[in-house]
Amino acid sequence: MASKITYASEMEMPFSPVSSGDMSWNRTGTWRYIRPKYEDKTPPCNAACPAGIDIPMFIGLVGEGRYDEAWNVIREENPFPGVCGRVCFHPCESHCNRADYDEVIAINALERFVADQAPPLEAGSPVRGRREERVAVVGSGPSGLSCAYHLAKMGYQVIIFESLPQPGGILRVGIPSYRLPKDILDKEIADIQAYGVEIKTNARLGGDLSFGDLEEYEAIFLATGAHVSRKLSIPGEDLEGVGSGLDLLRDINLGKTVHIGRKVAVIGGGNTALDAARAVLRLGGIPVIVYRRSREEMPAFDEEVSEALEEGIKIQYLTGPTEIIGTNGRATQLECIKIELGGEDETGRRRPVPIPDSNFTMEVDTVIVAAGEEPDLTFLPEDIRVEGKMVSIDKGARTSEKGIFAGGDMASLDRTVAHAIGFGKRAAISIDCLIKKRDVNSVLQGVQVGENGILSMAKYLSEVTRRRSPHVVAFEDLNLDYFEHAERNERVKLPVSERIRDFREVSAGLTDGQALKEGERCFSCGVCNGCENCSIFCPDLSVITDGGVVKYRINYDYCKGCGICIAECPNNALSIEKEAK
Amino acid sequence: MKRVISGNKAVAYGVMLSRVQVISAYPITPQTTIVEELSRFCAEGKMEAKFIKVESEHSAMASIIASSVTGSRSFTATSSHGLAFMHEMLHWAAGARLPIVLVNVNRAMGPGWNIWTDQADSLSQRDTGWIQLYCEDNQEVLDTIIQAFRIAETVNLPVMVVLDAFFLSHTSEVVEIPHQEEVDGFLPRFEPQLRLNPDDPRAYYGMISPNYYMEFRYKMQRTMEETVEVARSVDEKFGHHFGRTHGLIEPYLCEDADVVMVTSGTVTSTSRVVIEQLREDGLKVGLLKMKMFRPFPMKEIKGVLKGVEKVGVIDRNISFGHGGIFAQEIRSTFCNEDQRPMVFGFVMGLGGRDVTPEAVEEAIRYTLDNPSPKEEVIWIDLKR
Repeated sequence: MASKITYASEMEMPFSPVSSGDMSWNRTGTWRYIRPKYEDKTPPCNAACPAGIDIPMFIGLVGEGRYDEAWNVIREENPFPGVCGRVCFHPCESHCNRADYDEVIAINALERFVADQAPPLEAGSPVRGRREERVAVVGSGPSGLSCAYHLAKMGYQVIIFESLPQPGGILRVGIPSYRLPKDILDKEIADIQAYGVEIKTNARLGGDLSFGDLEEYEAIFLATGAHVSRKLSIPGEDLEGVGSGLDLLRDINLGKTVHIGRKVAVIGGGNTALDAARAVLRLGGIPVIVYRRSREEMPAFDEEVSEALEEGIKIQYLTGPTEIIGTNGRATQLECIKIELGGEDETGRRRPVPIPDSNFTMEVDTVIVAAGEEPDLTFLPEDIRVEGKMVSIDKGARTSEKGIFAGGDMASLDRTVAHAIGFGKRAAISIDCLIKKRDVNSVLQGVQVGENGILSMAKYLSEVTRRRSPHVVAFEDLNLDYFEHAERNERVKLPVSERIRDFREVSAGLTDGQALKEGERCFSCGVCNGCENCSIFCPDLSVITDGGVVKYRINYDYCKGCGICIAECPNNALSIEKEAK
Repeated sequence: MKRVISGNKAVAYGVMLSRVQVISAYPITPQTTIVEELSRFCAEGKMEAKFIKVESEHSAMASIIASSVTGSRSFTATSSHGLAFMHEMLHWAAGARLPIVLVNVNRAMGPGWNIWTDQADSLSQRDTGWIQLYCEDNQEVLDTIIQAFRIAETVNLPVMVVLDAFFLSHTSEVVEIPHQEEVDGFLPRFEPQLRLNPDDPRAYYGMISPNYYMEFRYKMQRTMEETVEVARSVDEKFGHHFGRTHGLIEPYLCEDADVVMVTSGTVTSTSRVVIEQLREDGLKVGLLKMKMFRPFPMKEIKGVLKGVEKVGVIDRNISFGHGGIFAQEIRSTFCNEDQRPMVFGFVMGLGGRDVTPEAVEEAIRYTLDNPSPKEEVIWIDLKR
């Protein structure tokens, strides 16, 4: 420690004001009154992803050309990068901070790019230690497969019962192959099977299979989707030539021969309606979409509406069908009424109000109804509670019956592939908690990303993860001095004339060069990507950059809390706190 | 090896031969070619030195203060406004007692902007605690750099080596470039008494209370006083090694002179020729070249000028409100002496205006012809 030296004369003094003793006791970090710390925050894309993908992490790896690692990062949360990279409605992009700078990151295209680089997994891929408990999953849609995938990786013995002859659920039978080629789906299902998931097809619960058959399983996850087409409740729905969008798409997807006429009215404004119309176009028909509200209210993904319009599909907005008129039992005309929009209804959309005496008719050969879908819950035992035509579940995807879980379209109105995948993950965690006798509510709280219930499997499974604050990084949190303006890299789409000939995929993937450039555009909001700015700027050489889970750390022996590291961090990956004295 | 090189190249060779370890500099006319040459030496591997690029002269000096504290032989060069920008750090280098060598190419201060020679820049730094040595020709420039490191590392004070813009910096003449082994024999490796060392952590340059601050200043002054003798001895040893010396001051034809002209920088060479011609005409005129300005070698000056009736001082500088700075210093040297010369202060050649033989002769004849100066400041070759 310090000792006071008294000099009697200048002769005793050194020639320069330098301490005569060792000063290692005085580590200058003691001068600090504020303390910087590395603290990853929540990127808005991640918080918006229903499947909970760690988006900046995988994009950072893409930017470095480390595609296989990027693939693994995605697949920690979601076994369907190839599927989602094509069909997801990408809310991540709607929340991307880059929108305020130039253009949002092409996250969806990057996800697909990563998936398209990945070779098939070999059967018997390693899991985290085999467990004897068996879990039954009913339904092999995105939700069921996601749940099975996560449980299998945890070591459980998982079997999926699928009513149709092929697995995939809505991905198989609901989405046409011009949006999702079947080989992509096959590949990703095979990758899930590589962890030992068994899939029994043609096994319908309530048919060949009864609830009693499932009693031997430790847990059951119900994910049978919503496959019952809602009726219009207008006269003429039973006429020949009237069918549902779901049936049409299912028949096409399963390779059945379908008969449609030349003039086809498609009723509805959701993805099913759009897909049905585009499928009709590819089969040689002339579809007209009849929708009772305007484009703004259409529940279909905007991109799909745009593509349909590009392809020349006519959409008759503000039009409601009132009757299907037939001749000799066959539909020949559709009577409609014009509609204006009134005040907001319970869904927040403007209520359609028919305009009196505005009826008109259109000639039709075929009418396809796609006005919404509902789950078929007839197979459920009575003691499983149902609410509003859906299975009632809690935050842990638990039904009212112990050991029985449910998710996806049958249990929620958030009917997207990404939401279904998120449900599967939620159920997998919850089932693991049931088996390991953990309190699922506190577990789920601990593995949340952001504050909207998005879950991180990576957090759930690893003992040491980097602390990530729930603060969702805003545009203002970033230091933009370190980013250059750069154009978004877009996927190339087939010209319309080629697209509509058959069911070939509309969008091409990004090229290698595009993906690298796009990867570099990412702001990496709230996630340290090792740019070393903090280390370069630190005047006290107190940033230590030697690996570990936490890449960088601060040597508080010498850090004086000047805060330059925080100011110069482009990504908002550092925080400041008051020094505890 | 004899080569025809500019003053700035002579600086670069001097720095290379001194085995400088760290260079940090920011380019400014007319110093730029020094930096260019040194960075080339570093890039080509002729020098094993770290060349630190910086955004300003202040940072350049700050950088080599840091490198010097670690015990590395360190160098920078600048000019005019660059030197002014360094001002704070000049105090720092001296107060920290660091043996840094800086070359300043004398250039006028703006505005009006002027890139030509004038001593205002270096003389404005008179009181920063730096040793200042003014050079007359390119050989002296090269030799003085090598000497400067030896002086600096002996007394632990920084040295400013000064040369005239363009008249030296960009004018080529024959220079003898010594062999590296010869220089190594004269200038040993720098072994600092104090060296910033993580294995022996000390607090450097912390707060000093009024209780001791003055003593540090006293030590600097004492060292400055001793530096005259150290520099003389270094020059003498240099002479043993290389066969030439430059002196701290150089009297020329002063023994019987009635009038002695005091000069510095390249004006000395011009004056030498004029005085030789006037001697042929029978006029008893001598010359005193001032190389060392800080410390001011009063004893040596007295030895030459004592008994001289009249002294004319040529200043390529002006301290506004007083006069030429060398003239002031010469006057103050004698003010307590019973026998003191009449001092004539001439100001000429500001902002790079040529100091012609005619101008020098005018000053000499003024001094010869007048028993005392008619004005405190005598402006030569001024349009008025």
